[in-house]
Amino acid sequence: MIEQTVFYFFAGLLLLAATMVITVKNPVHAALSLVLAFFCSAAIWLLLQAEFLAIVLILVYVGAVMVLFLFVIMMLDINLTVLREGFSRFLPVGISVAVLMAVSMGLVITSGRFTTGGNYEALKHAADYSNTRELGIALFTDYLYPFEIAGAILLLAIVAAISLTLRKRPDTKTPKVEKQVAVHRAGHVRLVRMEAEKE
Amino acid sequence: MTLTTELALLAPEIALLIMTSIVLVVDSLYDNPDRVLTYKLSQLALIITTGLVLLQFPEVSTHIMSGHFVSDPMSAILKIVLGLMTLIVFFYSYDYLLEHELLKGEYFILMLFAVLGMQIMISANSLLTVYLGLELLSLALYAMVAMNRTSAVATEAAMKYFVLGALASGMLLYGISMLYGVSGTLELPALATYLGAQTEANLLLVFGLVFIVVGLAFKLGAVPFHMWVPDVYQGSPTSVTLFIGTAPKIAAFAMAIRLLADGLQPLAGDWQGMLIVLAVLSMAGGNLIAISQSNIKRMLAYSTIAHVGFLMLGLISANQTGYASAMFYVIVYTLMSMGSFGMVILLGRNGHEADNLDDFKGLAERSPWFAFIMLILMFSMAGVPPFIGFWAKWFVIKEVIAAGHLWVAALAVIFSVVGAYYYLRIVKLMFFDKPVQMTAIKSSQEMRMVLSLNGLAILILGFMPGFLMTLCIEAMGF
Amino acid sequence: MIDLTQVLLLAAMLFCISVAGIFINRKNIIILLMCIELMLLSVNMNFIAFAYFLNDIKGQIFVFFILTVAAAESAIGLAILSVLFRNRNTINVKDLDTMKG
Repeated sequence: MIEQTVFYFFAGLLLLAATMVITVKNPVHAALSLVLAFFCSAAIWLLLQAEFLAIVLILVYVGAVMVLFLFVIMMLDINLTVLREGFSRFLPVGISVAVLMAVSMGLVITSGRFTTGGNYEALKHAADYSNTRELGIALFTDYLYPFEIAGAILLLAIVAAISLTLRKRPDTKTPKVEKQVAVHRAGHVRLVRMEAEKE
Repeated sequence: MTLTTELALLAPEIALLIMTSIVLVVDSLYDNPDRVLTYKLSQLALIITTGLVLLQFPEVSTHIMSGHFVSDPMSAILKIVLGLMTLIVFFYSYDYLLEHELLKGEYFILMLFAVLGMQIMISANSLLTVYLGLELLSLALYAMVAMNRTSAVATEAAMKYFVLGALASGMLLYGISMLYGVSGTLELPALATYLGAQTEANLLLVFGLVFIVVGLAFKLGAVPFHMWVPDVYQGSPTSVTLFIGTAPKIAAFAMAIRLLADGLQPLAGDWQGMLIVLAVLSMAGGNLIAISQSNIKRMLAYSTIAHVGFLMLGLISANQTGYASAMFYVIVYTLMSMGSFGMVILLGRNGHEADNLDDFKGLAERSPWFAFIMLILMFSMAGVPPFIGFWAKWFVIKEVIAAGHLWVAALAVIFSVVGAYYYLRIVKLMFFDKPVQMTAIKSSQEMRMVLSLNGLAILILGFMPGFLMTLCIEAMGF
Repeated sequence: MIDLTQVLLLAAMLFCISVAGIFINRKNIIILLMCIELMLLSVNMNFIAFAYFLNDIKGQIFVFFILTVAAAESAIGLAILSVLFRNRNTINVKDLDTMKG
């Protein structure tokens, strides 16, 4: 019973947040709503015993990806009024498409044979069960190959993002470390022998 | 299977990843003028990985890495074709990049990552590796399209490509999640076994299948999910268009085979109908819209859409010979497409893109030899016998008839006749119109030689299509 | 007890909201990117629900990879967005119509 209540609470909040993401005027508010949506999902994932992923969703997704989003929104000086153009024009189409899809998807899912077989019985794990440990073991044994590919994808993302956005401006003043390190006394200090001055 | 044998089968991918990392380090630390070293090392990477595939050409299908990776004759042949194609793409693009001041080490690095992604897709044996390979390829392509940072057109094309591509991935993933939920497995052969054991139809499976086919159609660029293709082809630097128009088609074909044939073969009855609709729409849409184009890159984009339609015809019959004919089609198509974009690169110079149809006017006067090569390419694309493009169309249409869809075959013939119009128009422009400009074609000796070989290969293969077809049939496991 | 259909319906509704968002906000690229994030979130919800009800870790593994790829994807997407903004000074899709045909 309490699980049901918690689920419905967060599910409702999640749908509300998702609707806000697509309807609010200001992109910053949209990003913050998306953060709320991620937070509610994480709560539901905890109910579904995916503890590690729930925490990763908050730490990595909200902590890094959403911050990146907010950073970009604030960096680009966006004209808000222009972006709202056509919003009311596309609203009816958007709503009708969504309702149509939701109804058909709902019909298919409820008609599905998920509930009949004995296959779909969730087991409650014991208190000493570690979700992180199980994921880790699977990742480094059976899923080694996909794990390596994911590494390649991250490397690619670094290379691509840097090569797209890094600009060398001639007027920026950055210290050249290699030159700083290579400094030698002889090149910079000159000892001058001077006659003692007599008054 | 011991770890060493598994690693040996994985050697091409491992070698490519290591070489890519080496190129990355060398390129960023060693300031080589004109990126000659980066370019040579990238070519070396491709030669090594293709060589490693050749060295251990598999006779049978082996599943390794806990069932995520498959090594079979099809994967080996496609990887060899992929390696050679990319090698030629590198060859065509180097001078272009140099002349258009786009030469950056990242260009080659991203391309090598894309090749790695495609190799992973070709050898994918689970839904997870199909997805990861696809993303590795797509992310590299998005960035490559935007590589020309100062061009508004290029970045705009990249943005469209990115949004639609990400949407397609989302669709594909939703479908994958449904298949996983119903079958409880991610491995494609296990999925096929599960589906084969099902006696009654399950609506949820068809539901998941729809999303998968939509995602696939987006990535292939089939009508009505083709919106990104013309913009990306036109907006990208020609060397990137050349790459996008060739190698990823091979990977997309491999992905279609892995998903539809290896994993969802028992659902063939359901996906055949969807593919027929997509194929007919693509052939019609691509060929009809191509007629009204004045930009040759955009025209070739619509021609790609039409060719994707023909490629799907081969899949419709859902049997081994059908798949073999589709494989034949995709290899031939990439060869022709590479030649055509190679010609666009050849004619452009000094920062000028020869991407208008007018640039081809009177080519026969400026350079009879390359007008002849272009003639071969266009005739082959149009499907005029005896060029290889004719045989490609012949084999897929034969398969469609064998599968009993006469009206689809009839439509395919009609649309290829419609398509012939705009290919032959280029031939007319080259041979019967006065040239707009008489400047000589300026390009390196090697570029001329490879492009000539590319054109002649299409002519020669046209006289002996049996060789390539035998290879494709063997690849499909006979 | 939560049952599987409830979670799947929630995910399906989330999916529909994100598709509606793509339709409504087709002018605003940054919101489009957020809609794609929402779509991936709904897919993840599906996988986690299946993993829970099938007592199978594979679904969670898949989510792990989707999260990784989605992070890489948004990094590249935002990079393209900022390059585009520098060139055009707009992220309004309506202005993106240089190419026609």
